[in-house]
Amino acid sequence: MSQPIKKVCVIGAGTMGAGIAAQVANAGVPVVLLDIVPKDGANRNAIAEGAVAKMLKTEPAPFMSKSAAKLIETGNIEDHLGKVAECDWVIEAVIERLDIKQGLYAKLEAVKRDGTAVSSNTSTIPLAHLVEGRSDAFKRDFLITHFFNPPRYMRLLEIVTGPDTDAGVAAKVEQFADVAMGKSVVHAKDTPGFIANRIGTYWIQLGLNAAFDMGLTVELADAIAGKPMGVPKTGIFGLVDLVGIDLMPHLQASLTSTLPKDDPYHAIARTMPLIEKMIADGYTGRKGKGGFYRLNKAMARRKEAIDLASGEYREKIVPAGPRGAAAKGDLRALVETGGEIGAYAWAVLGGTLAYAASLVPSAAADVVAIDDAMKLGYNWQAGPFEMIDKLGAAYLAERLAAEGQPVPEMLKLAGERTFYRVEGGKRQFLGLDGEYHDVVRPEGVLRLADIKLAAKPVLKSGSAALWDIGDGVLCLEFTGKMNALDGEVMKLIVKAIPLVSAQYKALVIYTDADSFSAGANLGLALFAVNIAAYGEIEKLIAGGQMAYKGLKYAPFPVVGAPAGLAVGGGCEILLHCDAIQAHAELYTGLVECGVGLIPGWGGNSEMLDRARKAKMMPRGPMPPVAKVFETVSTATVSKSAAQAKELLFLRPEDGITMNRDRLLHDAKQKALSLVEGYTPPEPPEFTLPGKSGHVALSMAAEGFRKQGKATEYDMVVSDALAEVLSGGDADPQDSMTEQELLKLERETFMRLVREPRSIARVEHMLETGKPLRN
Amino acid sequence: MQSVVIAGYARSPFHLANKGALARTRPDDLTEQVIRGLIGKTGVDPAEVEDLIVGCAFPEGEQGLNVARLIGLLADLPISVGGMTVNRFCGSSMSAIHYAMGQIAIGAGEVFICAGVESMSRVPMMGFNPMPNPALAKKSSVYMSMGETAENVAAKYQIARAEQEALAVESQKRAAAAREAGKFADEIVPIETKGGTVSEDGTIRPGTTAEDLAGLKPAFDANGSVTAGTSSPLTDGASAVLVTTEDYARKHGLPILARIKAVSISGCAPETMGLGPIVSSQKAMARAGITAADLDVVELNEAFASQAIACIRDLGLDTAKTNIDGGAIALGHPLGATGARIVGKAAALLKREGGKYALATQCIGGGQGIATVLEAVE
Repeated sequence: MSQPIKKVCVIGAGTMGAGIAAQVANAGVPVVLLDIVPKDGANRNAIAEGAVAKMLKTEPAPFMSKSAAKLIETGNIEDHLGKVAECDWVIEAVIERLDIKQGLYAKLEAVKRDGTAVSSNTSTIPLAHLVEGRSDAFKRDFLITHFFNPPRYMRLLEIVTGPDTDAGVAAKVEQFADVAMGKSVVHAKDTPGFIANRIGTYWIQLGLNAAFDMGLTVELADAIAGKPMGVPKTGIFGLVDLVGIDLMPHLQASLTSTLPKDDPYHAIARTMPLIEKMIADGYTGRKGKGGFYRLNKAMARRKEAIDLASGEYREKIVPAGPRGAAAKGDLRALVETGGEIGAYAWAVLGGTLAYAASLVPSAAADVVAIDDAMKLGYNWQAGPFEMIDKLGAAYLAERLAAEGQPVPEMLKLAGERTFYRVEGGKRQFLGLDGEYHDVVRPEGVLRLADIKLAAKPVLKSGSAALWDIGDGVLCLEFTGKMNALDGEVMKLIVKAIPLVSAQYKALVIYTDADSFSAGANLGLALFAVNIAAYGEIEKLIAGGQMAYKGLKYAPFPVVGAPAGLAVGGGCEILLHCDAIQAHAELYTGLVECGVGLIPGWGGNSEMLDRARKAKMMPRGPMPPVAKVFETVSTATVSKSAAQAKELLFLRPEDGITMNRDRLLHDAKQKALSLVEGYTPPEPPEFTLPGKSGHVALSMAAEGFRKQGKATEYDMVVSDALAEVLSGGDADPQDSMTEQELLKLERETFMRLVREPRSIARVEHMLETGKPLRN
Repeated sequence: MQSVVIAGYARSPFHLANKGALARTRPDDLTEQVIRGLIGKTGVDPAEVEDLIVGCAFPEGEQGLNVARLIGLLADLPISVGGMTVNRFCGSSMSAIHYAMGQIAIGAGEVFICAGVESMSRVPMMGFNPMPNPALAKKSSVYMSMGETAENVAAKYQIARAEQEALAVESQKRAAAAREAGKFADEIVPIETKGGTVSEDGTIRPGTTAEDLAGLKPAFDANGSVTAGTSSPLTDGASAVLVTTEDYARKHGLPILARIKAVSISGCAPETMGLGPIVSSQKAMARAGITAADLDVVELNEAFASQAIACIRDLGLDTAKTNIDGGAIALGHPLGATGARIVGKAAALLKREGGKYALATQCIGGGQGIATVLEAVE
């Protein structure tokens, strides 16, 4: 392999180019972002500079931390194209015009080093056209890398190589995109729209056509072609609003002009007068005045939807969508539902699955690539072939045949079989040869789901399980709803400690789920409160403190491997780990104050301990206390793992994995690296400010209340938090042990849990998912 | 009693804390440059300086360890020159001047450099370890936030938000016009920073209108009238004046700006600390044997528009003569540096504008006022 990628250049500072540059910066790699010189204005770098400034204000944020933005060097292609010579990968993300791209490549060829990869982010133009007129050397370094919007959050990267592309160059780009940028790579053939957008556009078009033809409301259409099919609940109309209605004609024009004449897409592509009118009137979706749905600001932000027949907006309705099994992922039940529900479901699903099945091997080498592309690029829970397995390949083939539609070869090949099966603990897929082959994960990818196919848990409780992930490492998995934590989890932790001590080397805490843990099971706690079983709650608090401290002082290394949401008790367990290997997309924090409580499972002392050790923390008893109070009293949640470090939820030396699929493997390696010579930490002792510090914190909180940023009851909750963090009656001359602080935490927690307004907050959170500001 | 004069005044540019051009400059380095500037422009022989007295409201961190001594060494003052840090919160560097005058009166020196500094970027207000006495917190409002005291004054004197905003607009207008006309050029010492030379104030918001200010949310009390626009901003800055006997200044050809005629300090209720200048100014004027009608120049620190208005009302000050080049709402209020700035500024204005008497006065957190009456020197 040629030189690894240490510096990247992105040309084109539009939404995609700038977003890709931001993700390179998020990986900690310097990146040059160039665009054209603006026609007017003195600043020749204004476009690229403006793009970075805009991204710093965008939500959801393209940057994982403000400091990442400093890794982007901005410039213009007239003055700074020479910088390409310093770069190992050049990503072109300019306007989708062949002449402009070809012109740029000609200039790039003159300045780039041999072996520097050049890739286009084109979504429509075939690779063969892009490299016309270029030297053989350039063709060897050239490929297509098709990112999805927004590049930080969308995991899919489609890579297309040409006949001349050097395998080493492609591997270098793929390795960087996967490991450093966190993208999951799907290899696509050099065909129009590649995989995800080709199927996605077909699916959207089918959904729009059928809703118009059948006279469905947009709400009903989205209620059918949304959650019941395992696709995001926005459905099709909601998705089009999200990506921009004005994008549709462009996609359509691009695909109709490039797809082969016999492609079924030509038969369904059509222009719709209503959509043309909406675009002309500025109703381009969420970015415009509204779309198929809108918030009517003139009518107190009334939620409205458009009537597809009249083009008029009316109040949004709750449609009578699929029920029972048809609503819960039984696709056969869905398409066989009577009336318009079943008819619409079949029109969308039958057509889309048949189309997807027809694209192997022309657009993708195998069914796995198709499924991965749709899951990663469109957030479908299951890919088309996994959906066909649910529906029945034979059923689909028969129904298509009965309607006189062509039956794709892949469906015929499957016959009565499924596209996937588990054999000998391994997941296998049906190949073009009609045989099953193992689904092979890239090196460094470890999924708990794969382990579960081949084994039973080592131990199990009602809300957690322990898995052997090999090499002497056990994995603790949460299994409750939202991975909520309760006594059953604590029970398993207590059992796991002697087991790992005796028979294994290390423990990793990890789950495959999107959310690591939403924290303590509030429903259970509320139930106990309602029957005044305060003793049970105190037992749960004490049990959690004990279990977490057990992990902290166990004679083996414990590594937390969170991804997604990890709040409340889910954050506290991480605070007790020896080390963290976090997915870059980590949203963690101590949010207890939001439900009228304070951290009760040792979160206070763990945060104080790391705050006082934090770099640049001023000396004296107050700064760490004030820092933790500020973060916890406001229930601050990190917006990335990088930000979690700034907030002290992660230590500076904790690891961050960019690719979600690599998290478990990386965490396991981290745990193994800690095994040799491992000694548990010494319990900390604290010097706390006591009552004086409490007064200072209360004064700060009172300022927030006066400003209208905190409520009356926030004062009660923050006062309790201040009591614990300042150490109660502590005197700065004395030191306080961890156990003393835990006792104070427990007693204060128990005081709050009896407060009716705390209970109201918990109830409200359980009912609405939102905090009550009482 | 010996006649004591202000024989020179200099300050750094003032910049917003945390986001301004001085946020990355250490306060001791900042003051060092101002003192070098003062020595340069006055031509005073540093070897004859008795003491360097530096006012600072939060003398810890980079402002700690008796920062006055450290600044003297940084500025290459002769080793024989003393160094003392004084703290009276916002009144710190005015107190430094008063102390120097007292030393002269008891025959303990002839030449003093009285400076002030505050990096509100680098040392937080309240300090790094705020630890209020719980018992005192119960019986007194001495720990109350400054914004809240400004609301209390607004309520007590029934000062409408629009009136506060009118004062703020005028302050911004005067400061912008003064800068435009180059009137700060002879007081500002350009400061070398890692980011280059800083020679202009960064706090002034030219073109501020009443409409702009009317759109701001209350900063301290959701139901209150005080906003960020009618408060002095958190500021980084340093200032210094040269205080000598009149005889010494004349003998050595120092540029005499004004004579210190009378000074005073007074306490007041902590919860309306903004009213502090009223009694302290009355006391100082009485000691000088004058009334407000005799004043030709007034430098009244605008910690908040509400307290400035209350003081103007009660003292019967002429607004045309008050804060002629703008006040702290526009220029900023680096706590420890403000006292030396307004005494130096009042002295310089007396010279520039002509007239006989000037008053420099300010309120002090915790409930105090401090005042200095200056007299023109023929």
